[in-house]
Amino acid sequence: MKVVPSRSSGWVRPVTPQKPASAIIEIESVSQVFQTSARKDHVALSDISLAIEEGAFVSILGPSGCGKSTLLYVVGGFVSPTSGSAKIRGRTITGPGPDRGPVFQEFALFPWKTVLGNVMYGPRQQGVRTTEAEAQSRALIEMVGLKGYEDFYPKELSGGMKQRVALARTLAYHPEVLLMDEPFGALDAHTRTRLQNDLLNIWERDRKTVLFVTHSVDEAVFLSDKVVMMSKSPGRIREVIDIDLPRPRRRSELLLDPRYQKYVVDIERMFDEVDETGSRS
Amino acid sequence: MTSLAALGKRAAPVFACIGLLAAWQVASLALKNDSFPTAIEAIRAIPDILGDKEALNNILASLRRMAVGFGIAVSVSIPLGLLMGRSRAVAAFFNPLLMVIYPVPKAALMPIIMLWLGVGDITKTLVIFLGVSLPVIYHSFEGAKAVEEKMLWSGAAMGLSPAQRLVRIVLPAALPEILTGCRTGLVLALITMITSEMIARQSGAGNILFNALDMGQYDTVFAMIIIVGAMGICLDAMFERVRARLVRWSEPQFDMPLSFS
Ligand SMILES: Nc1ncnc2c1ncn2[C@@H]1O[C@H](COP(=O)(O)OP(=O)(O)OP(=O)(O)O)[C@@H](O)[C@H]1O
Ligand SMILES: [Mg+2]
Repeated sequence: MKVVPSRSSGWVRPVTPQKPASAIIEIESVSQVFQTSARKDHVALSDISLAIEEGAFVSILGPSGCGKSTLLYVVGGFVSPTSGSAKIRGRTITGPGPDRGPVFQEFALFPWKTVLGNVMYGPRQQGVRTTEAEAQSRALIEMVGLKGYEDFYPKELSGGMKQRVALARTLAYHPEVLLMDEPFGALDAHTRTRLQNDLLNIWERDRKTVLFVTHSVDEAVFLSDKVVMMSKSPGRIREVIDIDLPRPRRRSELLLDPRYQKYVVDIERMFDEVDETGSRS
Repeated sequence: MTSLAALGKRAAPVFACIGLLAAWQVASLALKNDSFPTAIEAIRAIPDILGDKEALNNILASLRRMAVGFGIAVSVSIPLGLLMGRSRAVAAFFNPLLMVIYPVPKAALMPIIMLWLGVGDITKTLVIFLGVSLPVIYHSFEGAKAVEEKMLWSGAAMGLSPAQRLVRIVLPAALPEILTGCRTGLVLALITMITSEMIARQSGAGNILFNALDMGQYDTVFAMIIIVGAMGICLDAMFERVRARLVRWSEPQFDMPLSFS
């Protein structure tokens, strides 16, 4: 099957031929209410519906505390929504599974394992033989730029290094869907750019479905097919923006592309609006 | 400089012992009391005790009870504490029970246990078991409670079952805290061991000590105190070495500076 390029933007989106683009994840009127310590109900998500196509790179943008992480946890199966449901390939998500790989904002590395031990953990758990798991893990560690740090313990790493280990650890067991919670938040601008490129390369090769939470408009536009803008009034989807930019994307070309610039400016303006309504309420 | 500092650090306990013995010697000479022999007299009595087959058997029997009591306590308490730390239902069931048992001196239960189980090994081992259990349960519980949720989530996403998460994530993550509890437990094992033998005077190191006291052999009394104390110090030092190896990954890298000037 051929995907007809959208004439207006004039670009062809490469799609795996045998699998038509269809929703791999469906979030259906999900609400999440937390009981806070003060015994008050706190609405983190209210009536969120979203369909994510197989192989799509979707970013979630929104002000701090608008429920981005919570939405990711629902898809991950780590929390069950107060109402509504999330589905993967039509099956209701009832718990975590190796088909969905989280990269947490807090890294959550295993401190008693070395860098190599952390990255090998998933493949070993999946029954990959030690020698094979080790070879793959070493390659991943090199890819995230940590060659030479294989035998370091997490406490011996900087914040940015820990984040890269967390990314490698999740990539190591090949989840179908990546759930990334501000994975580049703790990185310096240079490493961040490098890892964004690496992630795009991996994604263009494997076509994993990615749900990517970020604070950076720039990053969201650069990486995504779709940007979901959330607002804090409370935890709603304000708008879903399709990013019609050609792939493979190269940073140097994109930065000069007026379409890219327009997306960034428009979304930044929307972000400002959303943030104001959020703080006023 | 660093090697000198390291040497000083290793020798420090030795200096502490020598200092303590010297103070004892001076105090004893100054007081001139029959029931307070000098350090040298006490040390001279040690080979007599360790050379006596019966005394040695008694001490070994004590150590065996201590090892059994400690071993069983640790292997029951760690899983229980970890389960309590991760499951509200288990915690709700055991917490009230432990709150009641915790402050009761375990030796105070001995008369009842003796009445039911006699004065033999079972009673003494049981008291040691009780003494060791509580700190180990408590520390395992606290350690398990503090395990970061996201770490367990990461494990679940990799396909670890709840039981596997308990053994392969909660246990190692809580290990530093668990081992702190075990170290306290080890010292308590020694204390309850001696106490149990004071109450059920039938065999053991505590029995030798109190028999000597009854017969006015004060150098033997003090020699036994040195032996028991040395046992405690050696066991603790050995345990500490093992502990430090196991949790090297968690030790802080920097000392807290007392000033930044
Ligand atoms: N376990 C919880 N109990 C109570 N309230 C919670 C809990 N977890 C999250 N919340 C609340 O839900 C809201 C959304 O939290 P969430 O972590 O999803 O925000 P976020 O968009 O990821 O923010 P950030 O960008 O700062 O990471 C917040 O207002 C927070 O206070
Ligand atoms: Mg968050």
